[in-house]
Amino acid sequence: MAKVLEGPGMGLLKKWGMSVPGYLVVTSTEQFEQLASANAWLKESRLVVKAHEAIGSRMKLGLVKVDLDLDAAKRAVKEMLGRSLGGGMTISQVIVSEMIPHKEEYYISVKSTREGAELLLASVGGIEIESNWDNVKKISIPIGEVPSKNELTDLSKRAGFDKDLTPRIVEFAAKLHQCFEQEDAQYLEINPLVLRSADRELVALDAVTLLDADARFRHPDWDFSFAAEFGRPYSENERAVMEVDSKIKGSVKFIEIPGGDTALLPAGGGASVFYTDAVVALGGKPANYAEYSGDPPDWAVEVLTEKVCSLPNIQRIIVGGAIANFTNVKKTFAGIIAGFRKAKAQGKLGNVEIWVRRGGPYEKDGLAAMKTLESEGFLIHVFDRNTPLTDIVDMSLQKETAAAAAPLREKTGTAKTRSGRAREARR
Amino acid sequence: MSIVANRDTRVVIQGGPAGLNAARRMSEFCYLSKAPLTVQAFVFPPDAGKINEVPYGSEIVSIPVYKTMAEAVAGHPEINTSLVYVGPDRALGAAREALNTSSIRLVSMITEGVPEKDSKLLSRIAREKGKVFNGPSAIGIISAGECRLGVIGGAFDNLILSKLYRPGSFGVITKSGGLSNEIIWICSQFADGVTTAIGIGGDAYPGSDYVTYLEMFEKDPKTHAVVIVGEMGGDLEERAADWYAAKKRRIKLMAVISGFCQEVLPKGMKFGHAGAKEGMKGEGSARHKADRLREAGAIVPATFGGLGPAIKEVYQELLSKGLVKEAPAVEPEALPKLPKTIDESRKSGEVFVEPMVKTTISDDRGEEPLYYGYAASELINQGYQIPHVIGLLWNKKLITQQEAEIIKRIIMLSADHGPAVSGALTTIIASCAGISMAQSIAAGMIMIGPRFGGAVTDAGKWFKYAVENKLSVDDFLTYMKANVGPVPGIGHRVKSVKNPDKRVKELVGYVKSLKISTPHLDFALEVEKITTAKKDTLILNVDGTIAAVLVDLGFPVESLNGFFILARTIGLIGHWIDQKQQGSRLIRLFDYLINYAAPKKKDVPPLK
Repeated sequence: MAKVLEGPGMGLLKKWGMSVPGYLVVTSTEQFEQLASANAWLKESRLVVKAHEAIGSRMKLGLVKVDLDLDAAKRAVKEMLGRSLGGGMTISQVIVSEMIPHKEEYYISVKSTREGAELLLASVGGIEIESNWDNVKKISIPIGEVPSKNELTDLSKRAGFDKDLTPRIVEFAAKLHQCFEQEDAQYLEINPLVLRSADRELVALDAVTLLDADARFRHPDWDFSFAAEFGRPYSENERAVMEVDSKIKGSVKFIEIPGGDTALLPAGGGASVFYTDAVVALGGKPANYAEYSGDPPDWAVEVLTEKVCSLPNIQRIIVGGAIANFTNVKKTFAGIIAGFRKAKAQGKLGNVEIWVRRGGPYEKDGLAAMKTLESEGFLIHVFDRNTPLTDIVDMSLQKETAAAAAPLREKTGTAKTRSGRAREARR
Repeated sequence: MSIVANRDTRVVIQGGPAGLNAARRMSEFCYLSKAPLTVQAFVFPPDAGKINEVPYGSEIVSIPVYKTMAEAVAGHPEINTSLVYVGPDRALGAAREALNTSSIRLVSMITEGVPEKDSKLLSRIAREKGKVFNGPSAIGIISAGECRLGVIGGAFDNLILSKLYRPGSFGVITKSGGLSNEIIWICSQFADGVTTAIGIGGDAYPGSDYVTYLEMFEKDPKTHAVVIVGEMGGDLEERAADWYAAKKRRIKLMAVISGFCQEVLPKGMKFGHAGAKEGMKGEGSARHKADRLREAGAIVPATFGGLGPAIKEVYQELLSKGLVKEAPAVEPEALPKLPKTIDESRKSGEVFVEPMVKTTISDDRGEEPLYYGYAASELINQGYQIPHVIGLLWNKKLITQQEAEIIKRIIMLSADHGPAVSGALTTIIASCAGISMAQSIAAGMIMIGPRFGGAVTDAGKWFKYAVENKLSVDDFLTYMKANVGPVPGIGHRVKSVKNPDKRVKELVGYVKSLKISTPHLDFALEVEKITTAKKDTLILNVDGTIAAVLVDLGFPVESLNGFFILARTIGLIGHWIDQKQQGSRLIRLFDYLINYAAPKKKDVPPLK
């Protein structure tokens, strides 16, 4: 799922024949001055100015200004652009849009479901919707089908729209569903949808647009980039890893979590979450989320490793992984080892303990290579498939308990090795 | 027993190199299970008509590649399963083609990054046709001892370690490909292993979900418990819980769920799988799923680490109830072993291979080529030049700067001799006929022989013979006349004493100025004095000069023609490029350049 900012989101609605307020995305005050002289509506309407960035609670941060005339809008644009929000975040774009005089607000959305999509409709909207969720009516639309006029008419009536408005609602709903289908959307929400007093036209005042990033290959006109969904823009290191990810076979992923003490460098989309869970369960603070999978090239894993090693104030790195199907452990570990050596040469990893567990093709070679780091002054502990998946997290965060814990695999000498290692780690 | 994949499964793989790699892994499993190869055909339009090779033990099986699914099943009517390995932009088309093929009952897709809309469409088609669509992003399906679809199960060693050569009592369903192997391994260590393990893929709306396969496991008498690995996002785990709670089930359900970390991590964070995302209002969280599964009666350990002991407990219970019997231990020796490659056997000291080729000059197995032991980059960095490389590769000697200068001059003097000579003319004719560079140069090279540029080696050989045997010039000429013929390196078609070859003068002048010992050059010049006295054009020519100087420098006789060949290549390449750039037309001789001395036209007599 990929979030699209308001500007391009509005653009898609417009593309599929729905009315939206006049809007402009501007990146400098000079640009806004020029556009103001070229667009008459900016002088004729009351305006809204909002920061056009992927940040949560814009209202609270004072990044939404409403009911402005052009001069006030210019001041708002000037004030917002370039404003620093801390954490290296600056506002680089604002969206200026037209206020639409209206009396009533409605709600309409289409969301992806297992069978296809659901179209939700209510004759209340705006902030009222949360407390009126029972008034939201919906229909299911199986994949590959379009809702019939009758279905939509019935939905409109059930949602409480009168005879006069229903045909317009039906037409709008059909267009919204068409936009949803044709643009590979996963969620389109218009709230509020309003009836413009001037011409009684339905206008989408605000929209949430989530698209299927995987469908980008068949949408050459998607000229926008997707916004981060966790309320802040991507960091430089995150972007660097995304850049690598887009170029390679397999994948590398990296998201920073400020304030963490435990860095994660696990393999596999599934195992990586179990590792993160294990850290959290023992009271550790993940400093990042990461994973590499699908037998990525060693240089890509090396880049990922460097970024992981650059995380501030980390005490340990968890290099975990399940028993791989086809990811070459020797080669991917070569990337990690190279990354570790580079980090050490740069004076990083001083007191950082590294915990490794892995299996899969060429596991013996890979683990043996990792073990050679012991003699190079790394604080590294290497385990094979006989140590259960997330035990390295237990050992690293809760060494005493781990050493005392009953061995999970009784027949082998693993248990001994494990407690021995844990003791060694404690020293 | 097993579900979905069994000994009757016959496979077509839709895809290129990744599909071929999967076929090889699948073949390893077939070999281990002593079953015939399941893969019958490939469908991959770019390679249609080619044959893919898949090792099976120490044999090679040839498998045809078709353009369409229709052609594949026409040639192999036993095919009932398709594995999709094409890219996300072609996945919909490929899987639809497979689902629309009547004999195909199961389509499993490994492709990642398939648009959600496409998987929903494929799921609908499969549902309507009563077929199974597994995936996308699905690592595959493996039924122990019976059938492997895709790379699930990992490397050959892992198949054995995880006892995948014979069925156990546990079913496995996971979203994650990597964890499928981990769970199979755990089942083999804490219990008797798996019946069938299935990767359903981590997308939000997979074609088949836990319930699809739980229904099948419930009907498979050999499966007594099923382990599912779930994660936050979507409602598939809740649906599995509902299924389990709906009525009394024969199988035991066990589950581990990931994503508890989401409770403390920043909202909206994306995890490894497309489907691993937060629900709108708390539903879809790991906790919600785990609670629902527990309420339904499933065994859900608190952590992943708790899974092994839980599986062990279930297995002990099955044993004590007599539902399963302890699987007889299999001696590793009884299992087929994957034949080692020659390289592996060599490394472990099992075979000795008589080398086919022996080299004494170079080695490029390391980071860069070594020329007679010297790294190319170090030679460059220390100021060595092309003549030194020639010295190393042709004569295994690191020559001096002075010797290098002589070689450089020899090459410069011999680089070209205009378009009229045999080599250049031939290259030009070839170039004008549209022939590529390598072939045109080779055509010119073919001209190098006894009459053109190829006398250097022979000249060197006889001058060396004379000096070694301390022959006088007279004795030498007598010997040559009696045994060899004209002296190689002596004589020129146009040059003479009065019209000397400037190249020879230049080279001789330079070499003599160096005050080095040049017995062969001195001898050759003595020979010239005698021969030019007899005939004006019997001068020491450029071949002879080069030969004498190079022998003086210690180059072996075998290498001598090489200097002319190397030098003249520079000129031939130049002529080829020149003609190309001019866009020259095809050369055809004018009739007036040919003397037609053949018989005039005659009547052809009747055939007898």
